[in-house]
Amino acid sequence: MLNIKTIDDATINQRVYQLNLGPQHPSTHGVMHLLLTLDGEVVVKIEPIIGYSHRGHEKMAENRIYEQYLPNPARMDYLSGMIFNHGYCMAVEKLCGIEVPRRAEYIRVITSELNRIASHFIGTMDYAMGLGAITPFLWGWDDRENILDLLEMISGSRLTYSYGRFGGVRNDITKEFYDGTRKFIERLRSRFWDYENLINQNVIFIKRSKDVGVITKEDALLYGVTGPTLRGSGVKYDVRKHEPYSVYPEFKFEIPTRKEGDCLARYQVRMAELEQSLNIIEQALDHLPPGPVRAKVPRFVTPPEGDCYVTFESARGAAGFYIVSDGTRVPYRIKVRAPSFSNLFVLTKICPGHFLADIVAIFGSIDVTVPEIDR
Amino acid sequence: MNTNPYGFNQYIKDILIGGKSLVVGLWITLKRLFTRIVTVQYPRQKLTMTANFRGHIEAIRFDDTKSHHCVACGLCARTCPSHVIKVQGEKTRAGDKKVGTRYYIDFSKCSLCGLCVDVCPEQTITFSKEYELVYYSRWDTVIDIMGRLEGSR
Amino acid sequence: MNITQLPYIKEIYGFLGSDVMSGLVGLLIIAALVPLNVAALVLAERKVAGHIQLRPGPMEVGPHGILQTLIDAVKLLGKEMVTPGLTDKPLYWLSPIIVVAPAFVGFIPIPFSPLVQIKDVNVGFLLIFAFSSITIISILMGGWASNNKYSLIGAVRAVAQNVAYEIPLLLSVMPIVMMTNTFKLGEIAQAQSGLWFIFYQPIAAIIFFIATTAETNRAPFDLVEGESELVSGFHTEYTGMRFSLYFLAEYTNMVIAAALFTTFFLGGWYGPVLPGAVWFFAKTYFLLFVVMWMRWTYPRIRFDQLMNFAWKVLIPIALVNLFITAIVLKVI
Repeated sequence: MLNIKTIDDATINQRVYQLNLGPQHPSTHGVMHLLLTLDGEVVVKIEPIIGYSHRGHEKMAENRIYEQYLPNPARMDYLSGMIFNHGYCMAVEKLCGIEVPRRAEYIRVITSELNRIASHFIGTMDYAMGLGAITPFLWGWDDRENILDLLEMISGSRLTYSYGRFGGVRNDITKEFYDGTRKFIERLRSRFWDYENLINQNVIFIKRSKDVGVITKEDALLYGVTGPTLRGSGVKYDVRKHEPYSVYPEFKFEIPTRKEGDCLARYQVRMAELEQSLNIIEQALDHLPPGPVRAKVPRFVTPPEGDCYVTFESARGAAGFYIVSDGTRVPYRIKVRAPSFSNLFVLTKICPGHFLADIVAIFGSIDVTVPEIDR
Repeated sequence: MNTNPYGFNQYIKDILIGGKSLVVGLWITLKRLFTRIVTVQYPRQKLTMTANFRGHIEAIRFDDTKSHHCVACGLCARTCPSHVIKVQGEKTRAGDKKVGTRYYIDFSKCSLCGLCVDVCPEQTITFSKEYELVYYSRWDTVIDIMGRLEGSR
Repeated sequence: MNITQLPYIKEIYGFLGSDVMSGLVGLLIIAALVPLNVAALVLAERKVAGHIQLRPGPMEVGPHGILQTLIDAVKLLGKEMVTPGLTDKPLYWLSPIIVVAPAFVGFIPIPFSPLVQIKDVNVGFLLIFAFSSITIISILMGGWASNNKYSLIGAVRAVAQNVAYEIPLLLSVMPIVMMTNTFKLGEIAQAQSGLWFIFYQPIAAIIFFIATTAETNRAPFDLVEGESELVSGFHTEYTGMRFSLYFLAEYTNMVIAAALFTTFFLGGWYGPVLPGAVWFFAKTYFLLFVVMWMRWTYPRIRFDQLMNFAWKVLIPIALVNLFITAIVLKVI
């Protein structure tokens, strides 16, 4: 990392030039636009420009009943749709005071964790691809494909699941899913060695990620960074542990953290979280309670007047739904806290002084999904 | 950043460890080079859809009436987030139950959320297993559900 | 009656045996061989990549997709050659043409077998190295003329990279020259009738391999193209046949690099049972496989690390190796 000071617009001289990384660029994960000011190959200033995939999800909520909004959360963070769906259902259930059967909660946790693994595979392997290693990316997709097959088995869909319903889930899990998940856990555990040695031990990978894009603890807290990106900076914070929701308190799992705060640390946190997610799934499968998967709820819910905020740990950090109800079937306002948004803007702090190639690495390592930022 | 002492021994060690990691990486990819491929050659091979697969909706034929149970209540049309469904029914005699006669969906707008299937009081609609959803024009995406049911007889 | 006793056949033989004619025939053979070879290599690359990534690679055109690259070539020929506005047009047009020339010249001194060699030039491999530097000029021309910042960054990287890596490249070959006292590639190969030079000079062999990989801009040193950073590097703006000329040059340079490695370190055409040329090609293609295999295994190195690696690791080690070789040769 070179020691070049950030300069503001007024002092930009002829030495520097601007480069548009995106909106269409192979490594911007969707339509993200990073306006770079470069001095040679060294970044002086970076300006993320968002809004290319704004679809007005929050506004949409004000024009439709609570049920009709069910497909939307999964379309914000398309890589962890199950988790967002879970979060939205929890928020409405809290607002209406609906008790969810325990079996449904367990199934939600299993599916959410499977989805988290799938999302982390994209996050880590996409990062590796940003560094130029294409093969691990496709191996990761192979493993992710198994998860999608499992989720398709129960929800019928592969990306935007709409599986959760108020008061439970749409349908019960099958024996096939149960056995398939067990088999998947075995299979994935046997493949960690390959990933560890192919990527994490590789000298080029380490050289490319170590001491690159260091987010200090203070910066992370200042910018409101959450999720694996925060845990990579040494802050032990996980919504699942610290503000427990659903049945997460019943499971034993660790929160992997790293002190360094660089790209390598973030990558390692994500890989370690895969194992923790597998542990949670295993425990949930072991203790899966019998019973119904859906509580008795009216066909169209009508929450009482009031508001509620529910926060949950998505694959990218602490996401949240804030719902204001005016006592009708249509929400008065829904506000979504998108973790990618606050994670993204830490770029402006950490990127100056890095090379152009590092920007791709840092951007990949904080793992944002653009539709979630723009909503 | 270069505050740590970087001696000659460290230099040699770095090269050796780095070289070893590169060789291990090559070994891992070589192993995978000779494993079975996992992809499906799509038009030649096809996957079977799971029981829960969500294609576009279709009407179920029941054994008692040899037809669907749709009463054209319009609940599915009302609950649909994207206003995809148009349903019409008629009463053949006064006092009889209404019977759905026309049921169209505009599949280009459908988000496959499954709310219509959930909400149906007669449980006469379900998801089809259709997954090859390519059309030549926008009008082809309008699917005549009752026609499909008739056609499949 | 022996056919060679016929007078006119003899005449033809004599004419073919003349320097000019053999050179001409050789060049024609190269001109035919190079594109076919590249077609085969591109297919091989895609197959290797596919199978490493647990997928079959091209499968549709011909059995197991063996005709895929031919069809791709036809497709590229049929494409529009877009010239973006504000480009430096003469340079933009010239650069893909210039880039192929050294690729063809590089084949001239390579000894495929004791008999199959177009011309054993006195300066030998120096000819190849000298001409391969022209590639860089054309890359710089293309990157500059494209009027695209990504292309320019790619081109600038290419120049710095090639300047840095030509030094360890030459330094790693020098011990071989000292051992054989010749620049002629044929004689160098002949000197390995006993033990191959890779056993005498393992470090030089590794350095040569790394340096040629970097010279030909292959992964993990493909910063010039680096698709995750620079979209496509210096040929971002090139389309159609111009793009495929760059492609042709890249793969031909790979073949030349592998052939040089075979000549210097793997005993050239020497090998049991089979004829020399077969051995030579077998060794060359094995090396090409290793290069492809490396590409689909490693991440891309960063620019400053690339430079550090050349100046702080490869060059010192190559110098030490050269020094030790000199002393040992003197003592013996």
